Amino acid sequence: MFSRWNWVACGFYLVLNICSPDASGGLVQSCGHIIPESPVLALGSNFTALCILNESCLDFGNIYASQIIWKIKNRVVPKEQYREINRTVSSVTFNDTSSLATPLTCNILADGQIEQNIYGITVTVGLAPEKPKNLSCIVHQVSRFTYVMTCTWNPGRHTFLDTQYRLRYSWPEEIFPDCIPKDVNNSCTVTDIQFFVNTEIWVEATNALGKAVSDPLVVDPIDIVKPLAPQNVSVSSVLLPTVVKLSWENWISDAVMTLKFNIRYRIVGDTNWMEVPSEDTSSPRTSFSVQGLRPYTEYVFSIRCMKEDGEGYWSDWSEEKTVITMEDQPSKGPPIWRIIDKAHSPASWTVHLIWKELKPYEANGVILQYEVTVRDKSSLSSPVKKYNVTGTNHTLQLPEGTYEVTLIARNSVGASPPSVLLIPASNSKAPVKNLRTLPKHDKLWVGWTAPNSYVLKYVIEWCLVSSSSDCIIEWQIAPGDVQGIDLKGIKPFKCYLITVYPLYADGQGSGQSVKAYLKQDRPSKGPTVQTKKVGKAEAVLTWNHLTVEEQNGFIRNYTILYKTIDGNETVVTVDPSKTEYTLSSLTSDTLYTVRMMASTDNGSRTGPDFTFTTQKFGKGEIEAIVVPVCLAFLLIVLLGVLFCFNKRDLIKKHIWPIVPDPSKSNIAQWSPQVPAKHNFNSKDQMYPEGSFTDVSVVEIEADDKKSFSEQDLKPFDLLKKEKSTSEGHSSGIGGSSCMSSPRQSVSDSDEGETTQNTSSTVQYSTVVLNGYRDQTPVQVFSRSESTQPLLDSEERPEDHAGGADSTAQRQQYFRQNGGQDETNTDRPCFERAKQITHANEGDFVGFVQLQISGQSSQPLGLGMEKNTQEAALSSVLQTCTEGQTVRPETVEENPLSVDEMPKCYLPQTVRQGGYMPQ
Amino acid sequence: MAAADSPSTALLRRDLCSRAIRLAGKMRADVVDLLDAYVEQQGLDASASVAAVEGVPLAAVERWDEQTGTQRLLENLAAYRAFRTLLAQMLEEQREQLGEADAGLGRALAAVLLQVSAFAYHLEELLRLESRGIPGEEGDGPAPPPRLSLFEQKLRGLGVLRELAQWAVRSVRDLRQLAKPSPATGTASGLAESP
Repeated sequence: MFSRWNWVACGFYLVLNICSPDASGGLVQSCGHIIPESPVLALGSNFTALCILNESCLDFGNIYASQIIWKIKNRVVPKEQYREINRTVSSVTFNDTSSLATPLTCNILADGQIEQNIYGITVTVGLAPEKPKNLSCIVHQVSRFTYVMTCTWNPGRHTFLDTQYRLRYSWPEEIFPDCIPKDVNNSCTVTDIQFFVNTEIWVEATNALGKAVSDPLVVDPIDIVKPLAPQNVSVSSVLLPTVVKLSWENWISDAVMTLKFNIRYRIVGDTNWMEVPSEDTSSPRTSFSVQGLRPYTEYVFSIRCMKEDGEGYWSDWSEEKTVITMEDQPSKGPPIWRIIDKAHSPASWTVHLIWKELKPYEANGVILQYEVTVRDKSSLSSPVKKYNVTGTNHTLQLPEGTYEVTLIARNSVGASPPSVLLIPASNSKAPVKNLRTLPKHDKLWVGWTAPNSYVLKYVIEWCLVSSSSDCIIEWQIAPGDVQGIDLKGIKPFKCYLITVYPLYADGQGSGQSVKAYLKQDRPSKGPTVQTKKVGKAEAVLTWNHLTVEEQNGFIRNYTILYKTIDGNETVVTVDPSKTEYTLSSLTSDTLYTVRMMASTDNGSRTGPDFTFTTQKFGKGEIEAIVVPVCLAFLLIVLLGVLFCFNKRDLIKKHIWPIVPDPSKSNIAQWSPQVPAKHNFNSKDQMYPEGSFTDVSVVEIEADDKKSFSEQDLKPFDLLKKEKSTSEGHSSGIGGSSCMSSPRQSVSDSDEGETTQNTSSTVQYSTVVLNGYRDQTPVQVFSRSESTQPLLDSEERPEDHAGGADSTAQRQQYFRQNGGQDETNTDRPCFERAKQITHANEGDFVGFVQLQISGQSSQPLGLGMEKNTQEAALSSVLQTCTEGQTVRPETVEENPLSVDEMPKCYLPQTVRQGGYMPQ
Repeated sequence: MAAADSPSTALLRRDLCSRAIRLAGKMRADVVDLLDAYVEQQGLDASASVAAVEGVPLAAVERWDEQTGTQRLLENLAAYRAFRTLLAQMLEEQREQLGEADAGLGRALAAVLLQVSAFAYHLEELLRLESRGIPGEEGDGPAPPPRLSLFEQKLRGLGVLRELAQWAVRSVRDLRQLAKPSPATGTASGLAESP
């Protein structure tokens, strides 16, 4: 790059030297020039430039017009725009000068393709000035004798060129100096103004491309004057309270210009101006009295002026001056109302008289005091009471009656007309009808239909309804000929209670009330719903009403939305007066989500979600199932018991065979020494041959009980007592004893019945090896020491089936029982029966007594009635039934008393399996 | 004067008269103000008596009410042409004497001069409306006065301004006479009624 520029510079130097043979003698002579030289061209026009080469350069450097290249800045102009006029002249043509730029250069492409600049021109492109339009002039008064005229015009489009504007004005015989604006092109101010001569004013705009002249404005400068505003304005309140006098000075003498005026005024604090009628101030003057003002009111005054004939401009408004008009007597009495408190005693009223302060334009001054006069109209003889009050309320204690209250406001000038309020004994007159409200922007319109009677005026009371505070009453009086007023100061979203009373000449109508909102919103919160009762298919929902502060409007309805977890939401609309609703057709045992929405005219708000689960069974369903089941069960049990009872012998035969009780045998008596002859050391020695397979019963025929004398029975009683009270006292056969055995011998549970006498004293011995039924056999050698004779029935009870009644009381059972199951089962049965016995001992009499395990008796019927745990009891009963021995005859003949029960005991070792009765 | 007044001509004449009257009034007020300034500036006594200035037409005239309208216009035109020359001379002398020291007095004098010129123009226009030829100015006006001393120049200036103030008053009255509607349009009698 550097070498290339070096080459160009060397070439340029060479050409200059070639073309400038006398360069050493002065300025370098150019090899050509461009015509026109630095032209100013109109934007959008066409333009042709010529580049003319010097003849001297042609011969010396072989440079011709065909080698000329035109450039705009550094951009080569397309050769299509070139034209070689002759060998020394080349032209370039531009159809639109907007494509031109500066500089436009003529260059030559010399030998060796060296481009050399020959000449360049500056091209200026712009527009001719447009004709100035909208020429207007105004003459400003600067001081008392000084006026300047400022003319403005619209210069038109931008010319892109240096354009000179000049304001020219002249009289027919006088040419004035031009006014040349400074820094602007659309206004100029002339300081040498002469009035009363028509002056021709015009604007000339000139630049390199042309000149434009505006339309002339011919005007007498006096007709376009904007005078200075009147000065030294003063205002004073004169004798009348409604008149003030305004004075001022004018800047312009009448010789130059007569003036007319505008006077405006307003009440301080009010933005609206009032004007004195213009026809009243259309003549020259320096003072004016403004009338029709309000007394004791501060006014602001201002004034302006203009040429009397209306030519020209109004001056600016003068400085503002304030004045307070004089006081006058109040123009009307204050509005008065009352609130009657009858809470203490209906016959004695507490009357709160309340009135409003007069408006400033009504008070016409400072109210010094109010005069209240109360006259009892029901009693003409009662004196009139007067009160002087400085406030706006007064409280009176009055007996019930009709009163006329008169109120007068007084200021320093005088008293107002009286305001009269009639307080009747009762508001028995007709009320207004069709009371209604309508919001109007920030005011609430209250309308009503007038009663048929003539109404003097209406009193409108209103108060903000609140759940937390009392209603603070505001009131307003409306004339009797209106049927609606606007209430101001009403807050949006608040509930107001509005009451309208018509006041008649002879009484007062009862009030009509309506609640209203200026503007409603949706509730600030939603109702909180909860369930009161939940059933299988229904749920009773309950909620509380929103407080009036939360409502923000009239609640139009409640909406209950409930759904299951995966189900669609169901919507129910409820009347807003309700606080309870029953959801029906619900699915049982299902979780429901319910929420409640309160709606006003302007929206809704939803309360929190509440969930509940419906019950699995409906009311009574459980009872309907359980009771029949229980009854059926009891019936079955009862039938089973009856069956068992009826078939007890058969059952006993198969399940509980009768085993004679050896202890009650008479063998012990007839063989008392036998035990001494035997010496059994071990059971193995006793039964060397093996196990016995069955119980051997020695059947002895017994005599009737009666056959024994009491003496015969005494030894048995003694023995019984010994056995009952001494544990470990074993019994044996023939004097043999089991005392050496680790097993303990104890009397059988039937021992209580061992008191039965037997005539038999048969000695017997029983050897048991096999287990009872399927139970594990215990090798026991058992020998009875009983001295009692065996009973017939004990030996073969089935043999006495036909004479059971006669023989049952003599039957004795000896029961060989080697298992523990039955014993274990017997115990809770006994304990349970024992509890019942303790609970109601007297009920035992006459009931069938069940002996279970030979130790306890169970009052069956009583147990069924008293025990609430039927299932457990039935189980016990079942168990007891299996091992019972029913002896109704025993109950009949010798019922056990409660005192005798302790004689029957259950050895504690039974559960341990260490002892079995033998 | 014989030309009949068309409505537009009558309107134009009324307008010219009205404007000329107000101009004369303002001119008088300005001249009065200028007189005070001039007396003070030139160190003269306001009560000084000045003899009649040569070349200055007198405003006072006998049988003023017997003059015709045209006559009034012509006399006014002659007077104001004379005042124009005299005021121009005064302005030049003022500049020679004070230079730019008291530009205010010079501006006020120039303003009065313009008003005099304007008033003369109004008079010429009114005469044209009366279809009367406008008398040509006599060469360059009155013959240049002889070279006066400085004090004489001041006194003469005072006399010119006082007489101009008088003429302003008279011109207002003349023009009001002209502005009155004539009972017979197009007749000279319209300009000859008594005030």
